[in-house]
Amino acid sequence: MIDFEPSEDQRLMQDSVATFAKATLGPRAREFERLRAVPEDVRKLAHEMGLGLIAIPESAGGSGLGLTTAVLLEEELGSADAGAAFGLSGPGSFGGAVVELAPDQAAALLADFAGADGYARFGAVAFSEPKANKERAGFTTVAVKEGDGYVITGKKSFVTNAGLADRFLVFAQVDVDKGWGGLGAFVIHRDNPGLKVLARHDTLGLDAGNFGEIALEGAKVEASARLAGAMSEADFTRATLRFFAKQALIVAARAVGLSRYAYEIAREYCETRKAFGKPIGHFQAVAFALSDRLMDVESSRWLVWKAAHAWDAGMPEKEAIKATAQAGAFALEAAMRTADECVGLHGGGGFIRDLIAEKLMRDAKQLALSCLTAEQLDQIAAAIDLGVALDPALVLPTPETQAIFT
Amino acid sequence: MIDFVLSKKQAMLKEGINNLGRYVIRPMSLQMDRAHDVPEPFMRNFMTMAKSFRGSGGALTEFDDSEGAEVKPRDPNKPSEVNRTAAVGAEELAWADAAMLLCMPGPGLGGPPVRGTGTPEQRKRFFGMFNGMDTGPLRWGAYGLTEPGAGSDVAGIRTSCRKDGKHWVLNGRKCYITNGGRAVWTVIFATVDPSLGRAGHRAFVVEKGTPGFEVGKIEEKMGLRANETAELVLEDCRVPEENLLGGEEAYVSKEGGFMTAMKTFDNTRPLVGAMAVGIGRASYEYARDFVKENYVMSRPIPRYAAIAEKLAKMGRRLEAARSLVYRATYMADMSMPNAKEASMAKAAAGQAAIAACIDAIEICGAHGTLATEHALLEKWFRDIKVYDIFEGTGNIQRVVISKRIMPGLKAF
Repeated sequence: MIDFEPSEDQRLMQDSVATFAKATLGPRAREFERLRAVPEDVRKLAHEMGLGLIAIPESAGGSGLGLTTAVLLEEELGSADAGAAFGLSGPGSFGGAVVELAPDQAAALLADFAGADGYARFGAVAFSEPKANKERAGFTTVAVKEGDGYVITGKKSFVTNAGLADRFLVFAQVDVDKGWGGLGAFVIHRDNPGLKVLARHDTLGLDAGNFGEIALEGAKVEASARLAGAMSEADFTRATLRFFAKQALIVAARAVGLSRYAYEIAREYCETRKAFGKPIGHFQAVAFALSDRLMDVESSRWLVWKAAHAWDAGMPEKEAIKATAQAGAFALEAAMRTADECVGLHGGGGFIRDLIAEKLMRDAKQLALSCLTAEQLDQIAAAIDLGVALDPALVLPTPETQAIFT
Repeated sequence: MIDFVLSKKQAMLKEGINNLGRYVIRPMSLQMDRAHDVPEPFMRNFMTMAKSFRGSGGALTEFDDSEGAEVKPRDPNKPSEVNRTAAVGAEELAWADAAMLLCMPGPGLGGPPVRGTGTPEQRKRFFGMFNGMDTGPLRWGAYGLTEPGAGSDVAGIRTSCRKDGKHWVLNGRKCYITNGGRAVWTVIFATVDPSLGRAGHRAFVVEKGTPGFEVGKIEEKMGLRANETAELVLEDCRVPEENLLGGEEAYVSKEGGFMTAMKTFDNTRPLVGAMAVGIGRASYEYARDFVKENYVMSRPIPRYAAIAEKLAKMGRRLEAARSLVYRATYMADMSMPNAKEASMAKAAAGQAAIAACIDAIEICGAHGTLATEHALLEKWFRDIKVYDIFEGTGNIQRVVISKRIMPGLKAF
């Protein structure tokens, strides 16, 4: 039955996260931006609320609350400071990736995130590279079999939590002749002598997030560090796609929150700012623009809910991926439109850093590249609808198309 | 609990209409478009079917509300799903053929004001006229608001009414009235004094054959050509006082008549939105299947990505509009005020579906413009535009939304 009412438990969690977001994240957003991090006291609070482990299954040490609950809470974070949502501790995309690629090993790989010192722990996924490989399809980063293990060499970019993570899931080319089908995923710890954290990226937005590069200089790992090594190419592609899709949905939920925030402050400004003798919101050009943005906010929220529900309800995987692709692409574009409108409606003031509007606009664009892009999501939805094979080169976010943050 | 899966009943309704649409309605779609009518035997069969759905729990009541019975008090713990179910049905029927849906016998848009404002006696009398259609003649109701000089600006209607003994005398012209020529009665909005604005509005049920009540021009339209759109002329038309909707007391509050006109829309706008989504989806699916069948998709084809993206954008915009439709009907079912959400649903759906119908033709190239029984894209393209016009244009929906998000905004 079509129903828009969160459960009682979801409502309670939503309320407490909303309170945390409004009282702690929103007012300190500029501080986080300046620090380029979310400070420890805030991370501790979020950790106590279990925010980093909402959608991780209980069997893997998470709360097992599912994606529907996760998107409800992520929207609240996004509505206060989307940047902070990226700066909070926890396994992050690393958690989502190991759950999909190696569910049996997830518990071991994620065990210590729930502990008392979890607020200081971060995970990361290293996927994108600085440049597309022009010589052949596939990553430049390679994993060469040596003895019982692998030696990994290459450079990875746009890694969320690069400077903070104590463990990385690194995607590398295992079989260089197999193009995008020849990938492998390897868990590499920060103390591996072959892993070097390089410079942090200076980004357009989401400044509280830590984005950077890592280099792998002959990093040696044991065979067991390779996740899903026994999977077929098609299964590995599907599991990786599943990981990216669910991560994209989390980002989309943050985008919904950002849209809501941008819409709300724009609406409030238009109610109070007077010009030509009346509030500017009483002019059609302004009120209609706000109306359109409200449609954006609400419809993107419902699409995100619908996709989350599709996963939680165990609907056929392709349906869930398609719903996610639609929700993600729509929500990312809607956030950009809404933040843009928000700055515009504020006039010159929107461009000045005294107000939050300009930050929302930078964050919205950064969000659009923080997981699968709208273009990539559209290709995935179309491929599913047209019955095209989910070829890794088509459905994975390869650097040949748009590089993304992971 | 958050859920987006149709109930069993809704899924059955959807599948039933889908089959009917695919195998019965669509094959005669173009013929109905050219003949400007729907064959009577089909309408009779359809109504029998609708009744069986109603018997199974009221799925199609929005389209076939003929008896006007008192609404049964609901168990507050088990809210009705009727609006959501109606949205599911409306989308599927419009997917089959939107004009056919508008031609179905019954009170049509005239139903909501009679149900909402009419006295028990009036509800019984006017809805009672739709009894006996199983064997007797088919009957329609209609809704007469728009005038040559007043469309979106409803407050500006000029059709006049003045009391004369036990009658009201009406003078004026109504235009773009769906099923206006064939209706057994039409809810006509008139004013006792244009200078009073909304406060002067009165709503009458004017019956066919009332002296001074004539059908004027039947319009030639861009689309929805199977459905009749008529001009109605009132010349010293004497309407019995018992046909003043709701009786005199309904107009004691200043805007009673206007509110009667507007309340209709909170329930119907999401359904119009659902119909738009249905037409848009029809076009989308056609284009998708055309690409599957005709495009060589073994890579690399540079143009494939552009087409894929166009398709994906059409799909997600329709999905977004559908989510707003479901939201608005959900709120109606929960008895939550939903004027803003109803307008958002209609505005978004109209635009998304128009864009889908335009892009679908683009994707199919020259083939997309051909009119054949198997390729209805050109028809859907003609049908869809009015969904951003009737029941309040896109701009009027934004006026409705604006007033609800901007405190203190009474009018622009």
